[in-house]
Amino acid sequence: MLSLFLLLPFLGIIALNLPVKGRRDAAAFLYTLSLSIGQAIVVLFNPGDFWAKPDFWGGFFNLGLYADNLTFVMLLSIGIVVSTAVCVGWQTISDHRQRLNFYNLVLIALIGMNGTVMLTDIFSLYVFLEVTAISSFILIAFHRDLNALEGAFKYIVLSALATVLMLTSIAALLLFSGGTSFAAVSAAVKSNSGNVIVIIAVSLFICGLFIKGGLVPFHGWLPAAYSAAPAAVSILLAGIVTKVAGIYVLIRLVRDVFGPISEISSVLMLVGTFSIIVGALAALKQDNFKKILAYSSISQVGYIVLGLGCGSPLGIAGAIFHLFNHSIFKSLLFVNSAAVEKQTGSTDITKMGGLGSRMPYSNATNLIAIFSTSGIPPMAGFWSKLVIIMALWQMGHFTYAAIAILVSVITLAYLLAIQRKVFFGILPQELKHIKEAGIWIVIPAVTLAIIIIGTGLCFPLLFKSFLMPVSSFFK
Amino acid sequence: MVNDMSQLFWMCSIAGFLVFIIGIYGLLVTFNLIRAIIGLELLTKSVTLFLILAGYVTGQTGLAQALAITLIVIEVVVIAIAVGIVLCVFRHNRTIDAQLLRNIKG
Repeated sequence: MLSLFLLLPFLGIIALNLPVKGRRDAAAFLYTLSLSIGQAIVVLFNPGDFWAKPDFWGGFFNLGLYADNLTFVMLLSIGIVVSTAVCVGWQTISDHRQRLNFYNLVLIALIGMNGTVMLTDIFSLYVFLEVTAISSFILIAFHRDLNALEGAFKYIVLSALATVLMLTSIAALLLFSGGTSFAAVSAAVKSNSGNVIVIIAVSLFICGLFIKGGLVPFHGWLPAAYSAAPAAVSILLAGIVTKVAGIYVLIRLVRDVFGPISEISSVLMLVGTFSIIVGALAALKQDNFKKILAYSSISQVGYIVLGLGCGSPLGIAGAIFHLFNHSIFKSLLFVNSAAVEKQTGSTDITKMGGLGSRMPYSNATNLIAIFSTSGIPPMAGFWSKLVIIMALWQMGHFTYAAIAILVSVITLAYLLAIQRKVFFGILPQELKHIKEAGIWIVIPAVTLAIIIIGTGLCFPLLFKSFLMPVSSFFK
Repeated sequence: MVNDMSQLFWMCSIAGFLVFIIGIYGLLVTFNLIRAIIGLELLTKSVTLFLILAGYVTGQTGLAQALAITLIVIEVVVIAIAVGIVLCVFRHNRTIDAQLLRNIKG
C-alpha cells in the first residue's frame, strides 16, 4: 500500500485542476493540508502490516517501493514540513490563482519526495529527484522578481550539473552491474571493490549529492535560492527538499548500496567539518534574516554528514535524528522569518528591534528553535548533537568532535544575534503598529515548538525504541 | 565483426567526451544565459550517449534505451523551465547577460 503516498497527491493534482467553478484554492489548501498531516499521523502510528499488504490494483503500478525505519522517519518529516509550508503559504500568498498554483506545485514536490525516500532503484531515484527539483525551480521563481529568478537560475544550473555527475556515475556502474536496482548495484560495487572505475563512479555520485545538499565546496546556490524564494517556499526548501534530495539519498547510498568504503568516510567527515565551519562563520557576518538561516542550514547539514562519515551505528543514528530535528527547527526558524517578513515587509535585521513585545508567539517559538539549533538541553537538537559527538569520540576522531562542540558556540552566537536584533531591544518608531502574524503562521509555529520540546523531553524513551532501530537496519 | 564493434565503441566514446568538453567550455566562458542552457543541454546529451554506450558494451540495450528515453523526457522539462526563467529575466532586464544577475551577494 506504499504507493498510496504517490497516488493520492497525483489524483489530487488531477482533481484540483478540473474546470469546476468555486473556491478551488480553498479546496487545494484543505486537500494538501489534510494529506500532509494525514501522512505524518499515519506514519507516526505505523500500522506495520498495513504497508506489507499488496496493492489491491495488483502489479499495474509497480515501482518496487520499499519502506524501512529510515523511510518512515523521512515520511514523517516530509508530512510535518509540508503541512507547515501549506499553512504559511495560505497566509502569505493572497491571490487565488497564485495559491492554486502554489498548492499544485507543493503536491508535485510531495510526490517527488515521497517517491525518493521509498524507491529501490538508482535510476528511478534520479527521476524522482528531478521531479522534486523541477517543482522547486518553479517555486523559487514564484513571484518572478529578479532576485528570485537569479536564485532559481543558479539552482537550475548547479542541479543540472549534479544530474550530469549522477548520470555519468550510473553509466559507469552499468558497465559492471546487470541493472540499476539497489541490489544489483550493491553487488557490483562489492565484487569490484578495488576497481578504479567503480571508485570514480561512486565519488562522482557523491559529488552530485553534495551539490544537491548544498555542502561546502558546492554551496553557492543555496543562500541565493533560500533568501530569494517566497517565505513558504523557503520553509519547504530548507526544511525538507534539500535534505531529502541530498542528505537522505547520501545516507541511503553510502550505508545501503555502496557499503562502507574508508576513503568515502574520511571525505564525508572532511566535507562535513568544512561545512560546519564555513556555514557558521559566513552566517556571523550576514544581516539578512533568511540568509543567516540559509548559512546555518549549511552548517547543520555538516553535522549530519559528519555523523554519517563516522560510520558507527551510533553515528548514523545521530545523523538521522539530527536530520529529523533539523527539519523541525529550521522550519520553525523560517516560519518566524516569514512572520517577521510579512508584518514588517523586510528581512533586514538591522532595521528591526523590540518585536518581541508585539509578536509574543514568534518571540517565544523562535527562542525555542534557537536553543534547539545550538544544542541547549533539554531541546531535541541537544540530544542529536550529543549522540553525534559521542559517536565521534568513540571512534577516536577527537579533533572533529572538538570542532563540532566549538562551532555549537558560534551557532548560538549568530542565532542570538538574530534574536537580539529582531525580538529584543527597543521598538523603532515606525514599527509601533506591528501586530502578531495571522493564525496560520502562529499555529504551525506553536506546533513545531511543541514537537521540539516533546522530542527533547521524551528522548530517553525514544532512544531505545526509535533511534537505535533506525540504525540497526544497516549491517 | 568484433573489430567493427570496438571501432564503433571508441568513436562513440571519443565523440561523447568531445561533446562533454564543449558543454563544460560553453558553460564556463559565456555570460549569455541561453548559451549556458545550450552548454547544459550538450552535457546531458553526452551523458545520454555514455548511458547508451554502457548498455551497448554490456549487452543490455533494452535497459539502456529505456533509460535514455526517460532521460530525454525529463531533460526537456528542465530545459523548458530554464528557458522560461530566462524569458522572465529578459522581461525584467531587457538583456540576457548573466553579469546583471549578481544582486545576491554571498
